[in-house]
Formats: sequence, C-alpha cells, structure tokens
Amino acid sequence: MKAFNIFLIFAIFLSFSLIAAPDSVAGTMEGSQEVAVDNKITMITDKFGVSVPTLIAQMVNFCLVALVLYYFAVKPISATLEERQQKISDGLQYAEEMKTQLAEAERERTEKVKQAAIGAQKILAEAREQSKEMIEVKTQEAAAQAEAIIRKASEATELERQKMLADVRQEVARLVVATSSKVLSRDLSDAEKSTFSESAAKELAS
Amino acid sequence: MKRDKKITQLAKNLVELSKEDGLVTEARVVEVLAGLKQLRHRSYLIILKTFLVRLRRELALQTAVVSTPNILSEETLDKISAKYSAIYGRTISAEVQEDTSLIAGVRVRVGDDLYDASVAGRLQRLADCVG
Repeated sequence: MKAFNIFLIFAIFLSFSLIAAPDSVAGTMEGSQEVAVDNKITMITDKFGVSVPTLIAQMVNFCLVALVLYYFAVKPISATLEERQQKISDGLQYAEEMKTQLAEAERERTEKVKQAAIGAQKILAEAREQSKEMIEVKTQEAAAQAEAIIRKASEATELERQKMLADVRQEVARLVVATSSKVLSRDLSDAEKSTFSESAAKELAS
Repeated sequence: MKRDKKITQLAKNLVELSKEDGLVTEARVVEVLAGLKQLRHRSYLIILKTFLVRLRRELALQTAVVSTPNILSEETLDKISAKYSAIYGRTISAEVQEDTSLIAGVRVRVGDDLYDASVAGRLQRLADCVG
C-alpha cells in the first residue's frame, strides 16, 4: 500500500516537473543553446502530438481519478486488506498462543500424571503399611482374646473344681455328722447324757 | 404412718405397765388388758396385736429357754438364771424345754441370742468348719 502511495506521488511530481521544465529551462538558458533546446522540445511535442493544455487536463484528470480511486477503491481495499492481515496475524498469534498453551497444558498434564503416579505409589505404600499394621494389631488382639478365653475357661474350671470339692466336703461332713449323731444317740447311755448335760449347763453358767 | 407410730408407742407403754419389778407378770397383763378394754379405742384390735408382739418380745428377753434332752437340777437352772441376769443386766428366768435332737448337752436362748453347748451343736459346728 505504501508503495502504491509513493508511486502516485512520484507520478504527480513527475508531471509537474515536466510542466515546469520548459519555463525553468527558458529562464536559465541563453543564446543558441536555449534556442536549440526549445526547438528540440517543440519538435518532440509536435512529433508526438502533445499539447500543454491537454497534458495539464490529462494530469488533472489523472489526479482526480487517482484521488477517487484512492478514496473509494484503494482505501477500503487497503482497510480490508489490513483487517485481513490483522486477522491473519491475530489468528497466527492465537495459534501460536494455543500451541504454547497446548504445550504448557501437555507439560502440566505430564507433570500431574507424574505427581498422581507418585501420589498413588505413596498411597499404595501407606495402605500396605496400614494393612500390615492392622494385621499385626488384629493378630495381637486375637491372641489376647484367645488368651483371655483360655484364662476364663481355666478360671471357670478351677471354680467348678473348687465348688465340687466344697460340695463333696460338705456332703462328707454332713454324713459324718449324721452318722456321729446316730452313733452317739444310740451308744450314749442316759446317765452319760445327763452327766454331759449337767456339765454343759455348768459350763454355760460359769 | 403417724397413726402407726402412735399405736407402737401405746403398745410400748402398755408393755411397761405390764411389768412388776422389771418383769412382765400375768396379773399386770390382765389388768392392762382390762384397762384397754375400758378405753374402747377405735384401733383396739391393732393395738392388741402390737401389744402381743411386743409382749412376746419382752417375755423372750426376760426368759432364758434352756433346751436339753435330760432333766437339769434346780441348782443348775438357778445358776443359769443368775448368770444371764448378770450378763443382760435384767432379771431373767430360766425355762426348761426338752429337745432330744441335741443328743446331750444344753442350748440356751435369750431373745435372739443363742448359747450352745450341745453335742448336736458341736457336731454341726464341726461340719461347718470342715465344709
């Protein structure tokens, strides 16, 4: 776009130079040189059919057309092209950013996967440790319970044995007493019983 | 509740009135009963029952029941009576009761207290020690 503008300015400048050239040449040259140059230009213009008013009119027309084209064609196209260019640039930038973000995301994902793997390993190790500890605790508890059950059973057996022994002892004592009572009742004479009673009464009275 | 307390107190007083020289006598009990009859109290029956319970308790306290399978001499009974009167600090009379289950020996009961010197009692104590 800038190149087109420069070209347009150059064309206008050249046209004016061409117009101004005969005047400046005429003012500075003297003598025969001046006449020779004049003749040459006149000869060229005549030969090519160029007339100054037509040239000026054409230049003005050209400028007008150039201006019209500039404002109504070149400028919108230029704006559209710039917009497109901007969009493409934005798109490329966006794609680049996306690429960067994707790479970053990929990196983060990889990092997270790695961290997750490390975490999983850690949790697994902890779980293994805990299960090991739990098994140990449960084993100890089971052993303690078994021991308690055995101890209780042993105590119960001992109590039962003691109770049986007491019962036997009581029964034997009862039998001994009953037998002794019968034997004494039968074998003691009335006189002996009376003597014993008197003696016991005196014992209580003394 | 208050009424029960009053009746208990009345029965207690009646028992005290039934005593002569610290001992409950039949004559005094008859007099007390006659007086109670004249009083015509509305809780007459309850008072009588309470009085009977307290009277039995009092008689038990002033009587030493001597259980024995044999006959004891008067002298021995007097000694027993004197001994327990001295122990309890009140006049206690001895009353003999025949009990052949004792085999031989004597068992004396004063109120809720029991003194045993019988063969059956000794055998039982032996059995208790062994058992």
